[in-house]
Amino acid sequence: MPPTISVQQLSKTYQVPEREGGFGAAVRGFFKRKYKDVKAVQQVDFKIERGEVVGFLGPNGAGKTTTLKMLSGLLHPTGGGANVLGFTPWELNPEYLRSMTLVMGQRNRLSWDIPAADSFLLNQAIYRIPDDEYKKTYKELDELLELEPLMKKPVRNLSLGERMKCEIAVGLLHRPKVLFLDEPTIGLDISGQARIREFLREYNKRTGATILLTSHYMADVTALCERIIIIHHGQLKYDGGINELSHKIAPFKLIGVILAESNSHDLSKYGTLVQNEEDWEKQYIQVKAEDVTRITSKLLADLPIHDITIADPPIEDVIEQAFNS
Amino acid sequence: MFLIIKRLWQVNWAEQWQYRANLIMYLLYWLVSPIIYLAVWTSIAKVKGDVNGFTVNDFTTYYMVLLICDQITSNIIIHTFAYKIQDGSLSGELIRPIHPMLTNALVNNVAFKMLTIMGLVPVWFILFFLFKPDFSSVTLAGVLLSIPAMVLAFFTGFLLSAAITSLAFWTTRVYSIHEFYFALILLFSGQFVPLTLMPQVIQNITQYLPFQLLIYYPVQLILGKLSAEQITQGYVMSFVWFGISLLFFNWVWRNGVKRYSAVGA
Amino acid sequence: MHTLKLLSAFFKVNVQMALAYRADTVVNILLNLMWLGWELLSLSIIFNNTETLGGWGIGELIALLGVFRLVNTMMIALIWPNTEKFNQSIRDGSMDYTILQPVNSMFLVTFSRITVWRIWDLILATVLIVVGVNMSGGTTTALHILTFILLAITGTLIIYSLWIVLIALTFWFTKFDNNVTILQALMDAGRYPATVYPVWLRVIVTFIIPIAVATTIPLQALRGELASGQILMFVAISVASFWVASKIWKAGLRQYSGASS
Repeated sequence: MPPTISVQQLSKTYQVPEREGGFGAAVRGFFKRKYKDVKAVQQVDFKIERGEVVGFLGPNGAGKTTTLKMLSGLLHPTGGGANVLGFTPWELNPEYLRSMTLVMGQRNRLSWDIPAADSFLLNQAIYRIPDDEYKKTYKELDELLELEPLMKKPVRNLSLGERMKCEIAVGLLHRPKVLFLDEPTIGLDISGQARIREFLREYNKRTGATILLTSHYMADVTALCERIIIIHHGQLKYDGGINELSHKIAPFKLIGVILAESNSHDLSKYGTLVQNEEDWEKQYIQVKAEDVTRITSKLLADLPIHDITIADPPIEDVIEQAFNS
Repeated sequence: MFLIIKRLWQVNWAEQWQYRANLIMYLLYWLVSPIIYLAVWTSIAKVKGDVNGFTVNDFTTYYMVLLICDQITSNIIIHTFAYKIQDGSLSGELIRPIHPMLTNALVNNVAFKMLTIMGLVPVWFILFFLFKPDFSSVTLAGVLLSIPAMVLAFFTGFLLSAAITSLAFWTTRVYSIHEFYFALILLFSGQFVPLTLMPQVIQNITQYLPFQLLIYYPVQLILGKLSAEQITQGYVMSFVWFGISLLFFNWVWRNGVKRYSAVGA
Repeated sequence: MHTLKLLSAFFKVNVQMALAYRADTVVNILLNLMWLGWELLSLSIIFNNTETLGGWGIGELIALLGVFRLVNTMMIALIWPNTEKFNQSIRDGSMDYTILQPVNSMFLVTFSRITVWRIWDLILATVLIVVGVNMSGGTTTALHILTFILLAITGTLIIYSLWIVLIALTFWFTKFDNNVTILQALMDAGRYPATVYPVWLRVIVTFIIPIAVATTIPLQALRGELASGQILMFVAISVASFWVASKIWKAGLRQYSGASS
């Protein structure tokens, strides 16, 4: 079976007009515009199999949204190709549009002035969903997201978390086989994020849908995805298991130490000191993975250790390091 | 006080200048009706020789002068202020030690006026060459006399519109009320046709309303169509209506602000 | 068939919205009646001073007012609210969702907002046309009425096409949210027969912003003033302009999705 999503050498270069300030420059610019090429996505390759949940990571401006927009069909690439469910996305084949969804955390699909229920029915008509199937899907979504109490209120009266639930639900009414989610939990509080996450996991399990999502919240990614793809400056930096990531590009461990006495000892000779604001009692030293045993025993021998821990560094830091290398 | 107005002017001029493209569109929008009325009435006068004594040239000069007078005496306060009351952003202005309507909004309107008049001048001359009106009845004295009359009319019109805008303190349907007010102006100011061609009933009512001061009176003044007695009468009316609208606005505004702060918006 | 289903879905959503603002709807209907009163009054003032306007009698002007109101209703019920929504969706990016829906985007952009209460204006306009035609007491034949209806549709289609072009320009010039003001501004020129206007104005409202094509011309057909060649020409022009407009719309979408860059 061919992969659900396959991307070959996908590239997107924007031409951005260069503008100088001032009236004269504006007039000159009108006749002869200078353009600057911005390479948003550069020759990216990856394949995603049916039913996978993949986290798509990278700092702001790395090209995540551009890639998602190309895969959903909103943008034409400037080079390379992509195939999703057997379709070329940017041909905007109605059948393709009916089998995938794009949910953007910062955009609204629902009408503000009317209850979500009415927007749902409108989408039923747009996606040509038969009544019985619509009822079935709605029931399922309601079970998972507890939509019913929200449906009768005008959307503008809903809280951000409630609205996001409805936004996601309306994007899933037509039972898409592929979900592109761009920051689906943005702006939500911790419990709100957790609910959406739980829902997505359950939805993936029940329907076998393929999910590609971007998020700023690492917890989203660690909870949902076994595999991650990282891009930076438009280039693919990593594609693989989330657990292998630290071994592959940052084979480091963190040793956390609480000393029995005052913190007068200088730990920097054992490894790089790392700041950790959440746990200021502990001091963290970053060391190479192969040195962990040696340094730990040395620490235990040299210093009055009260407590010692060994852990993988937080994924944020690993990615950060990968980008800066 | 002078410094405040100067600063307000700078800010509001810059703001209106930002929107100059919108302004041109507004000007275009506003120009169409008088030109159509002009075309309709001159085409009738052409066929019949005159309409109740109005010749083709009488109509042409009437609407050409009307373009200027209407632009000077009208205002856009409803569009620049009512939303501030509705969305609560007025609060910030209320705590400043100057009157939000009679300084900031007023200066903003004047800045807007200056820009539209700048835009109107070239358009007016194009129309002048298209319609070739004969302005021989216009006298310098009439023009000079019309200036204070138009300034008074602007203030009267501004205060009345400001009072209607202030109804936003009570109702969300202030734009509908304003639409009704706009229809009154259309009916009683002479915008559609010189008032003497309106039905007698309307002419009678017009005497007791301020609207003809906005358009009909200054236009007739400039065209030199009024006797000394009529001119004096018009000026007396102008001052009386200015006084009435000032009192009216103050009353509405004071009660409105009281209500606004009581609701705690 | 599916199109009808979709239309009725849009209609339902918009009825919901109108119900959410019930009191406003009543006020709007009252204001609409007020303007009708003013329009009739202004016609009576004109015809107190003359028997014909540009060769047209009062009955014909009332019928013209009816046609004008038909076109105007389309503007107010569909074009203006959807322009507002369109400009908004370009600004906040929700245009993305419109493009990704499996329905013709031009259709979505045209019908997603409907000012429902305006429908009654269609009835009012029809009454005006019937009364006007009867008052003019001419010898209107069934053929004239048919060509009138045909040309009212083609004229409307031409204005609609112009609208599509104007909003499609926003794909190229993102800051172009004055896109329809020119159409709005010249709308009022449709109230009177274009034949009374000076030549330059007649040229503008016939060829550049063709309001008269949807108002004066159908009425001329009703009076039997148009030759069959002219009628065919207007039909051809409207089909052509619709075709051009949908091409420009598609090019705009390509521009939006960056195909050209």
